[in-house]
Amino acid sequence: MQIALRINGSAHAVDVPRNATLLSVLRDDLGMTGTRYGCGIGRCGACFVIGDGRAVASCLLSAEQASRMEIRTVEGLAEDSGLTPVQEAFVAEDAMQCGYCTSGMVISATALLERSPHPTEAEVRESLATNLCRCGVYGRAIRAVLRAADR
Amino acid sequence: MTDLLEDRIAISTDGSVTALSGKVEFGQGIRTGFAQIVADELDVALERVTVLMGDTDRVPHDFGTFGSHSTQQEAPILRRAAAFGRGQLLARAATRLGVTVDRLDTKDGHVVSGTTRIPYGELVATEPLSGAVPDEVAFLPEQRRRYVGRPLPRVEARDIVTGRATYAADVRLAGMLHGAIVRPPVRGAKVKSVDDATARAMPGVVAIVRDGDLVGVVAERADQARAAADAVDVDWLAGRPDEGPDADIPLREDPVIETALAGAATRRTAQYVLPSIANAPIGPGAAVADVTAEGATIYGATHRPFGLREGVAKRLGLSEETVHFAPRMSSGTYGRSSSIDVALEAAVLSKRAKRPVNLQWTREEEFAYSPSRPEVTLEVSGGLDANGDIVAWSFDEHTANLHTAGWFDPDPERAGGTQGRNAIPPYRIPHLNVVLHMEPTPLRTANFRSLAAAENVFAIESFVDELAHAAGQDPVAFRLRHLDDARLRATIEAVAARSGWGRTPLARHGLGIACTIYHGTPVTQVAEVEVSDDGVVRLVAVWAVVDPGFVINPEGVRNQVEGGIQQSASWTMFEELRHHDGRIAATSWDTYPIATFRDAPERIDVLVAGDASQPSTGVGEPGAVPTAAAIANAVFAACGARVRELPMRPERVRAAMAAG
Repeated sequence: MQIALRINGSAHAVDVPRNATLLSVLRDDLGMTGTRYGCGIGRCGACFVIGDGRAVASCLLSAEQASRMEIRTVEGLAEDSGLTPVQEAFVAEDAMQCGYCTSGMVISATALLERSPHPTEAEVRESLATNLCRCGVYGRAIRAVLRAADR
Repeated sequence: MTDLLEDRIAISTDGSVTALSGKVEFGQGIRTGFAQIVADELDVALERVTVLMGDTDRVPHDFGTFGSHSTQQEAPILRRAAAFGRGQLLARAATRLGVTVDRLDTKDGHVVSGTTRIPYGELVATEPLSGAVPDEVAFLPEQRRRYVGRPLPRVEARDIVTGRATYAADVRLAGMLHGAIVRPPVRGAKVKSVDDATARAMPGVVAIVRDGDLVGVVAERADQARAAADAVDVDWLAGRPDEGPDADIPLREDPVIETALAGAATRRTAQYVLPSIANAPIGPGAAVADVTAEGATIYGATHRPFGLREGVAKRLGLSEETVHFAPRMSSGTYGRSSSIDVALEAAVLSKRAKRPVNLQWTREEEFAYSPSRPEVTLEVSGGLDANGDIVAWSFDEHTANLHTAGWFDPDPERAGGTQGRNAIPPYRIPHLNVVLHMEPTPLRTANFRSLAAAENVFAIESFVDELAHAAGQDPVAFRLRHLDDARLRATIEAVAARSGWGRTPLARHGLGIACTIYHGTPVTQVAEVEVSDDGVVRLVAVWAVVDPGFVINPEGVRNQVEGGIQQSASWTMFEELRHHDGRIAATSWDTYPIATFRDAPERIDVLVAGDASQPSTGVGEPGAVPTAAAIANAVFAACGARVRELPMRPERVRAAMAAG
């Protein structure tokens, strides 16, 4: 089916199977591979995008549902070659190892700081609780989010 | 083997530098460390250095990235190569200027002499650097280092936070299709028959592939491939029986161990049990294969680029030289990707479909079919003399082979370094007997972060704690009086001071200590826990002191050790890969929970106290090794419960409270 999407401020038209997820459309139709597949059931955060201001699992969202939202992906957070304060803070805190979960973490952190610019550490933990990291950078990621909030 | 400069360092005419290594980066930060070393010894800006790793068409042969050996093995070679290259640049400039080399120096990618500055690129325009790297080369003096020893963010960091980093599943090739595999109910089942009538008619399906016991689908889209694979009806013949060697291998023998134990003033015996656990990377295994009649290119992630090349060539009937492995970012591997399973499957699908095929396993497949850490049981008996000194120690490790590594060497020396790793305690013990029992397993297993060291050290350091208490001694003092290694002792003393060892903790809190020397890196940790009346353990804090010798990137070391502690805490508190009759019960993060942001301790304090006079040793694995015992010992200190079986579920803690 034909679907019109608004992603990172631009219009995209795709022709995809009826049940296609936003994740598959991003990755396989639009070549926006910064959003990662992790579990397919919204439990790991690797595929998070910002939909109408909230961090949402793109693996659970159909492309059709997404067509009614303003979508932002990790590729669209910063302008040109720059970094957002959240991205800068993740770099400065070295809050990554393999980096596969980082896109989703940056998305969750961005959505959190947009609705709550000065969160407590407890709020950071709760807001990122669905973002799983196997390499174990949780402590660094918490510091990164609080650092970005200080900016 | 002589290292050739041209195999290690290439300088382009624009002055950019490429350093080559057969090791692979999967988040441990070695690309950054290698870049720091090369930039310093070549005297160029770090931004000018690219480290090309694991690409089998470009890099020198390497056995694999294992055992926290990369920095130890590669750093000295790259450093010598870079220094040798700088020497050649100086010599070329001297010839060109008609002066002696001692009149010249280097500065930021240039050879300089007074106001004359020659860019490196000009000096390699007619002839690239080459030659056998000598054992002895002149290094730049320490005070001229700009990068080594400094805390620097990872060179991949910007690509990672912007989503530009390319993992295997992100590779996009012209004409690329997507694959999906039809899995048997149990590992190793044989195909009896395949009914693919329904699947064949489904949208997007390009090919249904059967190759021996591998059944898969290739389709235009990943979701179409998966849907069609689910619609293929395979009649499977039951799975494979338990596999692996059945052997008892003495690692240390003491003919009078029984007498020594019987004669001890105090004797203790304990059994420790660890479950199988999953690698559980956040990104399931993935590979893209582009197979033609002439050869194959595989994009993926593995610990063994050359092993992968060999395996794929064999499977496809190609000669090794025609297979190219092009590494992409690893979506998390803690040993899992020593198996080349996904690459082999993608290669078979691509060969049949005659198109490039992208295959990423599902989360369910990753849990149920990727290799795991085997179950381990450790039996320990120890005896103390009347002074409270350990006189005898008998240790039996029961574990299983790591199938996908493909090797098992029963030689005690070799086995002690692999499946029996760190089974020998670091303590001074007059009568020591250690036996490794290899037992068949129903699981598909592979190398897992630290091999058996994390399991052995859980038992050893828990038991040493038990002996300390039996002797009525402080666990720190008890360890120190049995240890000779000065560097390990220093980490124990330092971590005791940082953690405030000996202080009175809050109610229900306790502190526990554990230490080890892993492949030359001493590391000691103190854990603080809080234990509720109903047995719920909360990890409050961990302090660690690590001595990896000469430190290249202190921030990289801290990150690795913190991550090792966090991952190991997750194993210890939550993880168990349940299975029954060869069938894995975990299929999702719901049935295999790992630590989340909520579970992360309030602090992980890592002091990098590297002895700069010592060679650099690894840090990727050592941090994960002592954590379980430090937590278990802290639980004992908090509530008197000695938990000897992991994970540390509340019912186990409650039972141990009742027993204690």
